[in-house]
Amino acid sequence: MSEELLLENEVLENLKKFLGDKFVDGYVQRRGRVFVRVTMEAYKEALKYALEKWNAYHLSTISGVDKGEKIELLYHLLEPKNKLSITIGTEVPKSNPKIGTVSDIFPSALVYEREVYDLIGVTFEGHPSLKRLLLPEDWPEGVHPLRKDWKPEQVK
Amino acid sequence: MAVLSKLVKWARIKSPWIIHYNSGGCNGCDIEVVAALTPRFDVERFGILLKGSPRHADVLVVTGPVTRQTKKRLVRIYNQMSDPKFVLAVGTCTMTGGVFRGGYGVVAGVDEVIPVDVFVPGCPPKPEAIIHGVVKLLEKLQKL
Amino acid sequence: MLEEEVEEKRVFKIPVGPQHPALKEFENFTFTVDGEKVIDVDFRIGYTHRGIEKLAESKTYIQNLYLCERICGICSAAHQGCYAQTVEELAGITAPPRGVYIRTLIWELERIHSHLLWLGVAAHEIGFDTLFMLIWRDREVVMSLLEMISGNRVNYAMSTVGGVRRDISDELKHKILKGLDVLEERTKYYKEVCMKEQTILARAANVGILSKEKTLKLNAVGPTARASGVDVDIRRDDPYGAYDEVPFEVIVYDTCDVLARILVRVDETIQSILMSRWILENLPSGEIRTKFARKIAENEVLGRVEAPRGELLYYIKSNGTDKPERLKVRTPTLANLLPVAEMLKGGYIADIPIVLAGIDPCFACMDRALFIDENSEKTWVWDKEQLRIYSIKWYKEHGKEVVRERWKQ
Repeated sequence: MSEELLLENEVLENLKKFLGDKFVDGYVQRRGRVFVRVTMEAYKEALKYALEKWNAYHLSTISGVDKGEKIELLYHLLEPKNKLSITIGTEVPKSNPKIGTVSDIFPSALVYEREVYDLIGVTFEGHPSLKRLLLPEDWPEGVHPLRKDWKPEQVK
Repeated sequence: MAVLSKLVKWARIKSPWIIHYNSGGCNGCDIEVVAALTPRFDVERFGILLKGSPRHADVLVVTGPVTRQTKKRLVRIYNQMSDPKFVLAVGTCTMTGGVFRGGYGVVAGVDEVIPVDVFVPGCPPKPEAIIHGVVKLLEKLQKL
Repeated sequence: MLEEEVEEKRVFKIPVGPQHPALKEFENFTFTVDGEKVIDVDFRIGYTHRGIEKLAESKTYIQNLYLCERICGICSAAHQGCYAQTVEELAGITAPPRGVYIRTLIWELERIHSHLLWLGVAAHEIGFDTLFMLIWRDREVVMSLLEMISGNRVNYAMSTVGGVRRDISDELKHKILKGLDVLEERTKYYKEVCMKEQTILARAANVGILSKEKTLKLNAVGPTARASGVDVDIRRDDPYGAYDEVPFEVIVYDTCDVLARILVRVDETIQSILMSRWILENLPSGEIRTKFARKIAENEVLGRVEAPRGELLYYIKSNGTDKPERLKVRTPTLANLLPVAEMLKGGYIADIPIVLAGIDPCFACMDRALFIDENSEKTWVWDKEQLRIYSIKWYKEHGKEVVRERWKQ
């Protein structure tokens, strides 16, 4: 089992070494699946590193998960040659949900960041046109349906 | 005058023109509506013709649960049609909202927005069922 | 001064849409045009936003099978199968080989139906209705096969957590093989038509160019990427189901235009027919599903499949109950939104329908286009049909010179 996961473990170790104490948590789930959690300051470095060192150029999407006090953002990257999926996660506080954009590194993030902004309410600083993507025009501002504390009564 | 209205009625029954509107469905019903129009089922042999503009159509074929964003547009399309107009709702979603009932983006049911003449249940209904629904609608027209 | 005014007058904004069916993929494009050329594209989506991701959090894993299937009616099996295999991984169970093979068969049959459907729609968009009707007639063959296997023509409900719900008998196997023979012959004929027919060549060759660099940069997926020379296919690059055993070729074309997108899909259809045949001939024996405990401990899993339109991604997080904590879906058309905007820039208004249809956004484009002349505040409304007719008419008038110009390049 372990010899099959050589590359995956190498990616994990490399990221750990590169990020130092900004590395929070990480594990290899199975062949081709690496999950890494980093601090808010380091997520962009980690993404850049994954792109430059491992050529994980395909940003599949950004998932936002409400974890109560914090909102977790997961950047799912794919490197097709070595069949490698790297997920880099970071947490932003719910009281001040702000994080820098990655659209300068991954242009495809333009759409995904708008989706996360719309549904879970994280502001991406530096995004050229951060506006509503999915919700209706008459939807109240500041109400984000994918947050756990969202209630149907908030929308008439 | 009576002759003219008879002629209009005859024309309407022999060749109802339809417009197809998806009010937020999953596409399943839509491809079945199109399948009903293509060679294997071919409703065109009954004179049923798909039109692009609501102003030309007698029958509005609606698929999908009505979403918050399509609601206004559905009403607008309905209002643009000239009288007398009829609505054929295709699929379970149009009756109750189907699996999407309870979703924050769904109004649930076409009849909450515009009056419906015939419902065709199924997820999605087979083209045969859609044709059956059209026949039921034509029967209704006959009695007018 | 006068010249400037004339210059200004030439630039128009054209909102197109929003009527276009798909999950989140209900699009409204605003085109800024200069004369006949599109110079900028903006989009607004979400007209079919039903709130599925939130709804899924209030349903059990089994109920969600049927919700996910209805995210998209054309790639329903891809959605349901992807959801099922992701939950299997989440719960730590594996489906028996026969179940996995049948699931893969359904995926491939669905790809055939979806690609043929698209091919018909594309033919319709360029005004080639004869081909549209012919293809849809032959598509009924695969629809009947799917109905025989699953009992429904569109939402098959074949996959379940732990395997599939119905088995394939030997008798049925022979029927499917016969149907596949018909499909193979017809698809090969359509490939010939697509490569030789002047109507298609004139409207599709050198239209809607998306360069390889842009494709890589904007992370396009599926046939759209493969038509621009990017060799990417989730079936091979992130293997799932039975794809590491089934032999198949990844089709790549490098002319980057609509014609390449047509040919990629035709060739993929042929590949899918061959794969379906291989699967049926090598179907392992045994059970078709295993049992599944309803509650899943805290875990997270990322699942990908190659849907007919490209990479489909599910991220599911469990929390120890029988309902998911978070279910995230990324559909292929969302990934292809920026690339399609790129393709449209620099093209003609008359090419909008076929270029938009080129990424296969579940159904061909727009149903109502609103034209606003900003200077005279004149507004007029076009629907999809009128835009399509306009495009056909425009090509009748200007076609020859435009095509000649294109061939020179």
